Amino acid sequence: MFSTPSAMAATRPRYGGTLRVAMRAAPTSLDPAGPQAPDWFGSRNVSLLVFDTLVTVDNSGRPQPALATSWQSEPSNQRWQFSIRRDITFQDGTALTSDAVAASLRAVNPTWKVFSAGDAVIIERDSATVNLPAELALPRNSIVRREGGKISGTGPFTVTQWAPGKKLVLTAREDYWGGRAFVDSIEIEMGKTFRDQMISLGLGKTDVIEVAPEQLHRASAESSRVEHSEPVELMALVFARDRQSADDGRIREALALSLDRASLNNVVLQSGGEPSAALLPNWMTGYAFVFPSNVDLAHARQNLVGVRQTAPWTLGYDATDPSARVVAERIALNAHDAGLALQPTSSAADLRLVRVPLVSLDAHVALAELAKSLGLTPPKYNGNSNSEDDVYAAENGVLQSQRVIPLLHLRSASAVQATVKDWHKARDGSWNLPGIWLGPGMPGTDKP
Amino acid sequence: MRFRRKLLAVFALTVFLSVATVAWIVSAMTRRSFEQADEERTAALVAQFRHEFNRHGEEVVRRVETIASSEAATRMALKLSRGAPDYGAYLDEAKALAENQQLDFLEFVDSQGTIISSAQSPATFGYKESFPLAGPVPKDAFLKQEDLPDGAALALSAIRLINVGDRPLFVIGGQRLDKDFLAGLELPAGMRALLYRNPGNQAFSAQLLSDTSGPVTQAEQIAPLIKQIQSQHQEATALVHWSSNPADDETIHAIPLTGQQNQLLGILLVGSSRRAYVELRQHIRSAALLAGGAGMILAILLSGWAAARVTRPVEQLARAAREVADGNWNTQVMIQSSDELGELAESFNRMTHELLEQKERLVQTERVAAWRELARRLAHELKNPLFPLQLTVENLLRARQQSPEQFEETFQESSSTLLAEISNLKTIISRFSEFSRMPQPHLQSADLNELVQNVARLFQAQLHTPGRPPIECKLELAESMQPVAADPELMHRVLSNLVLNAMDAMPEGGILTLRTRQNDEHAFIEVSDTGTGLTPEECERLFTPYYTSKAHGTGLGLAIVQSVVSDHGGRVSVRSEPGSGATFVIELPNGELPDSSQSNKQ
Repeated sequence: MFSTPSAMAATRPRYGGTLRVAMRAAPTSLDPAGPQAPDWFGSRNVSLLVFDTLVTVDNSGRPQPALATSWQSEPSNQRWQFSIRRDITFQDGTALTSDAVAASLRAVNPTWKVFSAGDAVIIERDSATVNLPAELALPRNSIVRREGGKISGTGPFTVTQWAPGKKLVLTAREDYWGGRAFVDSIEIEMGKTFRDQMISLGLGKTDVIEVAPEQLHRASAESSRVEHSEPVELMALVFARDRQSADDGRIREALALSLDRASLNNVVLQSGGEPSAALLPNWMTGYAFVFPSNVDLAHARQNLVGVRQTAPWTLGYDATDPSARVVAERIALNAHDAGLALQPTSSAADLRLVRVPLVSLDAHVALAELAKSLGLTPPKYNGNSNSEDDVYAAENGVLQSQRVIPLLHLRSASAVQATVKDWHKARDGSWNLPGIWLGPGMPGTDKP
Repeated sequence: MRFRRKLLAVFALTVFLSVATVAWIVSAMTRRSFEQADEERTAALVAQFRHEFNRHGEEVVRRVETIASSEAATRMALKLSRGAPDYGAYLDEAKALAENQQLDFLEFVDSQGTIISSAQSPATFGYKESFPLAGPVPKDAFLKQEDLPDGAALALSAIRLINVGDRPLFVIGGQRLDKDFLAGLELPAGMRALLYRNPGNQAFSAQLLSDTSGPVTQAEQIAPLIKQIQSQHQEATALVHWSSNPADDETIHAIPLTGQQNQLLGILLVGSSRRAYVELRQHIRSAALLAGGAGMILAILLSGWAAARVTRPVEQLARAAREVADGNWNTQVMIQSSDELGELAESFNRMTHELLEQKERLVQTERVAAWRELARRLAHELKNPLFPLQLTVENLLRARQQSPEQFEETFQESSSTLLAEISNLKTIISRFSEFSRMPQPHLQSADLNELVQNVARLFQAQLHTPGRPPIECKLELAESMQPVAADPELMHRVLSNLVLNAMDAMPEGGILTLRTRQNDEHAFIEVSDTGTGLTPEECERLFTPYYTSKAHGTGLGLAIVQSVVSDHGGRVSVRSEPGSGATFVIELPNGELPDSSQSNKQ
């Protein structure tokens, strides 16, 4: 109550300033329906600055109103009706209407039946869809006005400069329905390596950067302010083909049993994640521990008795990911211990080392999107139940196909300058840039 | 082949052999010199490689020692001595230190042989190092095979030990022996270095061979040499033919590279191109060919000039000899030198001079002999009629003195005798006169068969003169005789003379055969008798003027025959043997008129 003015200034949010952000992704289009950039986190964070979705999902995985103020479904969960928030305009000044929302959703989901009814939008699906609100919270379902090759959103910022894949400058909207952002503008440098981002942060040229999971430990040790999410990125081995025979299945199982996930996580990835033999992380489902993730060489070798690997498998990895090669080589060594031959390669291979982000805090949607990203058979949910048992059964079904071997769940991490205040990261790693403000003495501040 | 050409060929061959011999000698000396230089260059490069190898080894040792004494390595050793290693803390440690010291390979290995951190294979943490670390630590650098995820590599490595705390820590660092290492060798022009990695007892693989630019094409060409080194572990040299072009050939010296346990880890190949030698040899050959060609041309020209200079007097002598053979004895050659050829020419001139003088003397002698023969014949011929004349006149005188009554009768008889003998004398004199006034033939187209038939018809009566044995005349005339150029009147006289001779040769009768025939060049008339025949000596002298084998003959008949036939461009010959008759053969040229006749016509 009698705190000094400086103390008051330190705790009271203030408007103004330019937030400088660096990211590894280099998207060439801001359209959420466009081709996704390799690093999905970056694209998602940029999308949330310019566009809104009908629904958002909170950290508990529950849908929350956004552009849609309420929604209701028929008992069969095939027909959904969403009421659209009023008095909202796109960045180009056009009013948000139910027709515009329906057109935006139809463009992204051509199989859906979407139409407007007054201030509401009605979505009809061919089958029951329990988690449609959570699905609508995916960035690709952002409401976009597309006209004459130009796109416009209802998000908190408007685009003032756009150099595809290089730089994006955003300006805060004064009339944003959720309230004006504290910072006046955001400058985003794209296509920067983790190393360059770290240097830029160290030199004070950037306020927010991404941190690779394997750099978490080092970045923290260097006294950077590092924030990380729950493990939200799956690292796994994905086979190019379905299981060819029973012997093939035994070899795949032997490979899974030979993997030393703990060493991969603790050493190679510097404890940047959690070992896991499940597709969805334990914090999301609570049952991931059920799938054994410890190395069991004896069992692996026993699996290979009477089974002969006809030719060494090739293990593909992303050559642009520095840690991927080490992980692949470690996996090859683990496999060799079990009696399997794996040859790491950066080209097409029998199985690939992949990193796939979890795009939703809703387990159902996250698993379905995961299977879709990995090219696996979509998970089969039983009935309309939205229970963990249903997700477990579906995930177990996917794992039983032996097309994928989960390795780790990695965290999404960011490092920010001390001048960045109220930095809160969602559990899925999404940035909440409109909610932050810049403290005094910040290099990018253009107001006293 | 003419003497000049022979001489020319000998000169040219001599020059060619000389040039070829010189070129071969130069080529052989060049090859020997090149091979010696090649061996020296190869030895120099091998020495340079060893020097570079040692220098690089010392550098690797120095850098590994720097790392071993670094604070990071010391700290790592201290932490290891206190408990289980935190591999995560050292995952990039070796890589960072290796990059800092510009080493391609660096590993930290604990006393149990467990890899703590690896620059070349970061994923191998916790695994055992395959290189045996038992025993003393090598002081110098050595060759080591590095097993990498993408295959084995050859390294020049060094080991140092960090003895801090209770548990020692090995630092194993090295530099890759690859194309960059080879590129660091300063090679003389035309030489190159290749490296063959020899992982284990693996068979030859072209992918294991590289030079400064990477993999070597046609590496199989070197396979035999590699296999030889693999089996013998000793240096060897081989000539490798990369293509059909000898300039692409390369002399390759192979040096085995062994590791600490004397195992063959690699093979250094020092290649020396033979292009320079081949090009030099080709230049020499080209120069030899050029010089040889120019020499040949010059030799031909000079040989031609020399041969002409040498053979010209010989040719003049040969030409003069031919003229002498043709009867032109008054032939002289020009004496142009005082050497043997000059002496030969002088001797030739002296010889022709002597021949000419001898001929003149012979002609003079023959002329005198002819006059003597003529005088003898005249005396003989005139003496025969004169003796009856004398006897007749003496008989007249004696009859007038001794029996005038019978003088008239004697006078009448003697007068007849005198007139007969005087007529005889006149005949003799007219024959001599006729021979001296032998006319030149007037050639015209004459049918020899017709001539022969006319003569036979003319002598038909005489052949069957009563009181003498008959002579049968047979005509064997060719059916298709072509006319020849001849004077019919003279040829008639010739045939008449021969027929008369034949009749004289057959006083006991016989067969007279007149025969004609013709070939491509000549027409022939043969007059054969079946008389007593002639001896060879008679045959030889038969056509000599005033020679006769008959008791009453002037010896001019056959001389006239020969003269007439010769004037026709022909010749007359006789073949005979005693007792078997004689055959006179007249040979006249076909068609064309003889030169003399032509001149007469003109």
